[in-house]
Amino acid sequence: MASDRITLCVPARGEFAKTVRMTAAALVSRMGMTYDEVDDIRMAAEEAFVYAVDTLSDDAQVCFDFTLTDKEVVIVVPVGEQDLSSDEEAERRAAYATFILESVCDFYEFANDESGAHLRLIKRVGAGDGNQE
Amino acid sequence: MAIRNSAHKQTRKLTWDKAYTRELFRRYRLEGDESARDELVTMYLNLVKYLASRFRNRGEPVDDLVQVGTIGLIKAIDRFDIDRQVEFTTYATPTIVGELKRYFRDKGWAIKVPRRLQELSFKVNQAVDALTQRLQRSPTIAEIGEYLGVTSEEVLEAMETSEAYNFVSLETDRSSDGSDSFSILEYVGKDDALMAVVEDRATLSAAVSKLSPQEQRVLYLRFFEGLTQTEIANQLDISQMQVSRLLRRTLRVLRENIVRE
Repeated sequence: MASDRITLCVPARGEFAKTVRMTAAALVSRMGMTYDEVDDIRMAAEEAFVYAVDTLSDDAQVCFDFTLTDKEVVIVVPVGEQDLSSDEEAERRAAYATFILESVCDFYEFANDESGAHLRLIKRVGAGDGNQE
Repeated sequence: MAIRNSAHKQTRKLTWDKAYTRELFRRYRLEGDESARDELVTMYLNLVKYLASRFRNRGEPVDDLVQVGTIGLIKAIDRFDIDRQVEFTTYATPTIVGELKRYFRDKGWAIKVPRRLQELSFKVNQAVDALTQRLQRSPTIAEIGEYLGVTSEEVLEAMETSEAYNFVSLETDRSSDGSDSFSILEYVGKDDALMAVVEDRATLSAAVSKLSPQEQRVLYLRFFEGLTQTEIANQLDISQMQVSRLLRRTLRVLRENIVRE
């Protein structure tokens, strides 16, 4: 299946949240995602960005890697590694982030492999929006 | 090899005890124990607060968002099927988020956004409603664009700007919960949000005249004298929290009056 790959790197600072949201929305709208699905992607991208900003150093770049096919978008974002067992605030933040990602994505995972710690999100076209109502 | 969701596992020992949650649901549903329902609301309020804070950069006071989110939480508690093998948080999060999204979609405009985008955003919302009804599903961005005779980019732009719904919260300590520092201020620059709204001084003065003398005084000190909330508190011999509350209430009354006129 043909796929397109797009990379967006922005400084790890809050004011770039809008850039991230708009880029993500623009990309998935090309795939025929619905209004609600696009809105979910905007939330997911922002949540991932916030998590990255919280866990990476201030001078870091946050690089979003989008892979688009006819059926889905896969978003990979490097995040900082955290010792959740010793930091209650970080633990809480991570837990809450997962609730949002769980509700707006079809799949998400915090993974750690040779490329480092990262967050991987998948949203499928036509899988319905994240809201149950 | 991916380590599946290590952070998520941590949530088990956070605030919510799964077994106790089920016990509360059992007491509420089977025994009609209202206090169990209240306890569930209290137990999951932190989740509401977090989700509400995620919408903070859209310009509404977080306290208001928490209230809206709590409505979503209560709906989730009342609708949750205890026989389903789903965790309550998994069910509640989209319901709360849905309530918050709906709240924003239903909001009017307060800060100055170019008229073209205001109108377009309004039309996009209308188009989404109309098309959802017609298609029996959420429309795509292209469908919305076609319906309105605009490009997809314009629809996306309208989606983004439609978040500049309202006054920036006057709580200056916006990083008080330490989770991040997002604020609509970062997007709209340093223009005074109130002044941006008020293009018509006559409308403003009519609205201001309906406020109490103390409310007018606080408004004057904040926006004409440019004092901080703490400075106003010292001058009026009240607490900073009271100033904050007073300002928020005053601005809400003003906004309602201005919108009405």
